[in-house]
Amino acid sequence: MDAAAPKPKENMGEPLPRIDGRLKVTGQAHYPADLPTANIAYGALATSSIAKGKVTKLRLDDARAVPGLLDIVTYGDMDKLEKPKFGNSGATSIGPLHDRRIFHDGQIVALAVAETFEAAEEAAQLIRAEYEEEKPTATFDSPGTATIPAAGRSPLFKEDVKAGDFDAAYAAAAVKIDQRYSTPTQHHNPIELFSTTAYWQGEQLVVHEPSQNVTGWKVELARQLKIDPAKVRIVSPFIGGAFGSKGPMTPRTAIVAIAAKRLGRPVRCVTSRMQAFGTQTYRAETRHRIRIGAGKDGRITAFAHEGWEVTSRPDPYVVGGTSATGRMYDYGSVLTHVSLVQADRNTPGYMRSPPETPYVYALENAMDEMAVALGMDPIEFRRINEPKTEPIGKKPFSSRSLIQCYDQAAAAFGWAKRDPEVGAMRDGDWLVGMGCATAIYPTAVAPCAARVRLTVDGDVRLQCGSHEIGTGVRTVAGQMASERLGVSIDRISVEMGDSSLPPAPVSGGSISTASVCSAVLKACDAIRTKLYAAATAEGGPLAGSRNAEFELVDGKIMAKSGASAKVEDVLKAMQVGAIEEYAEFAPKGATPEALKKLYAGKPEFHGGDQDEDSVKYAFGAEFVEVHINRYTREIRVPRIVGAFAAGRIMNTRTARSQLMGGMIWGIGQALHEATEIDRRYARYVNRDLQDYLVPVNADIKDLQVILVPEVDHAVNPAGVKGLGELGNVGTAAAVASAVYHATGKRIRDLPIRIEQLLV
Amino acid sequence: MSQPSALLTNGLSRRKFMAGTVSAAAAAPLLASRAEGATPVAAEAKLRQPLVTSLRINNQAYELSLDTRTSLLDALRDHVGLTGTKKGCDHGQCGACTVLVDGKRVLSCLSFAVMNEGKDIATVEGIASTDGKLHPMQQAFIDHDAFQCGYCTPGQILSAIGCVNEGHAESESDIREYMSGNICRCAAYPNIVAAILQAREETRGA
Repeated sequence: MDAAAPKPKENMGEPLPRIDGRLKVTGQAHYPADLPTANIAYGALATSSIAKGKVTKLRLDDARAVPGLLDIVTYGDMDKLEKPKFGNSGATSIGPLHDRRIFHDGQIVALAVAETFEAAEEAAQLIRAEYEEEKPTATFDSPGTATIPAAGRSPLFKEDVKAGDFDAAYAAAAVKIDQRYSTPTQHHNPIELFSTTAYWQGEQLVVHEPSQNVTGWKVELARQLKIDPAKVRIVSPFIGGAFGSKGPMTPRTAIVAIAAKRLGRPVRCVTSRMQAFGTQTYRAETRHRIRIGAGKDGRITAFAHEGWEVTSRPDPYVVGGTSATGRMYDYGSVLTHVSLVQADRNTPGYMRSPPETPYVYALENAMDEMAVALGMDPIEFRRINEPKTEPIGKKPFSSRSLIQCYDQAAAAFGWAKRDPEVGAMRDGDWLVGMGCATAIYPTAVAPCAARVRLTVDGDVRLQCGSHEIGTGVRTVAGQMASERLGVSIDRISVEMGDSSLPPAPVSGGSISTASVCSAVLKACDAIRTKLYAAATAEGGPLAGSRNAEFELVDGKIMAKSGASAKVEDVLKAMQVGAIEEYAEFAPKGATPEALKKLYAGKPEFHGGDQDEDSVKYAFGAEFVEVHINRYTREIRVPRIVGAFAAGRIMNTRTARSQLMGGMIWGIGQALHEATEIDRRYARYVNRDLQDYLVPVNADIKDLQVILVPEVDHAVNPAGVKGLGELGNVGTAAAVASAVYHATGKRIRDLPIRIEQLLV
Repeated sequence: MSQPSALLTNGLSRRKFMAGTVSAAAAAPLLASRAEGATPVAAEAKLRQPLVTSLRINNQAYELSLDTRTSLLDALRDHVGLTGTKKGCDHGQCGACTVLVDGKRVLSCLSFAVMNEGKDIATVEGIASTDGKLHPMQQAFIDHDAFQCGYCTPGQILSAIGCVNEGHAESESDIREYMSGNICRCAAYPNIVAAILQAREETRGA
């Protein structure tokens, strides 16, 4: 059996190959900067060389002298438009050309537009800004930071969760730890560069840009340009990796749209890799203090998690992962507090598992330390503290298969063969370490619309304004239609990534499969209802039978009695060429405004810790083996095993690939990824793929993903829990645990590097 | 830098080269004759004059008028319309722009288009059979789900074909090492290795 296509177990769909696979291997998948556009002009950004101050003068003469230069958009040219807004669809409130103030290094100061890419680049590099410069504040511990409580600053982080009397329980605990952890600045670095192509057809604006949120962007761009959202179309048929970076729109989009309007021709601006570090979002650096108290029996009685996160001066971006860490185990008492630390930086944004990646790393590293302090096996320690209800609101988990994940992953990994003594395992010149950690990600779902058409020829056309960022959502949406309508997948076409399609929520928070499939399910069931009604009507081929007894298989309505009718014949009898249904799905607990908000690009999220009846999370367990060279301290990860349970698995192939990619991301978090900051200038230093390290092929060897069967009808009609952000949670803690096991060194600051193991 | 000689040996005729003194100036300003009284500014201005360049891409001949600074990558994408080849960094660090030039893998973002006159360039659009049958490496990438977003995939596939033909796909560890110039941010690496193992034999014969 091919590892890429795991055999489906209970409640799992077939490992169908991606329906857009052929397009992707032949170069015919058109990403936004690939879409053919006639008579295009090229834009290039000029960005600030300081992080704080004011632009006093912009010298444009040299740039204007470049042959082929067409226009320069800069200060004054955006004044009649609205400033960007910080929020779900907007990356930042900084309007770089609305305001001569500089809030961060690499802030846009102008857009040069020319006949060729080369001329645009040349002109942009000749634009010279003069500044009134101030001393910038770079990050934690830099002079000039301001620290504020995070709770209530963002609709996504309402409160610091707590339960019981932590102080008393911690004071009384027999065994306790009090440790600090940190995670670095990281940039998403999808391989597709960020780009905007804009053109006007009369009053209609068309924008080709990689986006995880075409509906939200349509509305936000229209607001900035002061035009009707119906006059804006965002087109993003394929997205070359996103990881959160293409969720919120950045200020560049409106600037390029204005350039296109001024010139009366299409303008394309592809941001350089280096400029993306300052003009897009990123994962901010975090710090953590964790205190855990337990009895000698290993039962936790007290848990405190304090977090600090860097953000920009104007925007209170917060991830606040204590909502998840505070609910992970049966702690007894919980105390949490999250603070924002403001500095002269661009506004951070969502990056794959935004709250959980840093916060669960800290929790799970602390859990491993606690197990060591107790002299317990780390799996046993977690088993003892497995909760019946979550400790904050005492709500049940809709489903929780964490222990099954640990058991299956431990068996596959061979945990029983691990010698628990530190430094006891060797492989020649390599110290061997083995570690494990828990993965958790909230299961959310949002309203979504979809249109499905079944034709008399047996073809299905599915339209939904969601986004194919590589998750396989096109394939699984098609698979849902295939299952419900009894039509082979090769007869199904799926259109996504266009704001003129039925609206879908932002493809973030691992909600897409659940939300899109729930809407597709609803549309398909409406088609089924019409088919059944026609088939069973008086004079119909199945007159007299009851609906519940039917299935749709291979283009036929099959009754339990054995009678059947071709769908084609039913449609002909109805005298129609097609049945088309437009469905709007709203999750349980949605407000009366929920669908209106979907069309306005501000979808409600439900699930996670927000529901009344239960809390909803997906879980996993990851096991890592590290080899550390005894002389050079080079760290390798020859083996990693993860077991995950995430409700209904639509397609075992795409699910495994996402989890695998997540686990490799986790290895990157542990060992590679960090954006270095020059504290003197508040400037990112390693702004390219040579110096910003990400895992490459040679970094990964044996990797095993185990899909653990789980049924959960409470999460959404499709029964699906998202797993795109589950795989990379906990991995870094598992690596840290393995490094400790190999060397006896507890590394608390990521990434783990050779130099930390040499001292 | 020895650009002028590179230009000459890369198939540009001497006559074309001289006719396009602009390109000489572009490549090596020292060659711009001061005796002719050309000021550096004038030489600069001429530098942006387009140069007619002939490229053979996927067995088809193209004559393009290009700024001499145009990379092979931008020539393919913006001037020929073959957008299958991707720009991921423009610095030769990610591998997304990998094409085959005379059968060898080349980072098209690090190669000026004009340096490729007379060479055979193969891109992802040109490796399937004319009857639509996929190259074994393309099929193997689908079979093993060796991509997610698909953006690095054209470069991975061309690089994989080059890797096999170089003789660097003899073992799994060799494949991992010699495919490490192609970053896959979705991290489909184990699947890419499996795909190359599947297509290795057929690719050698292709």
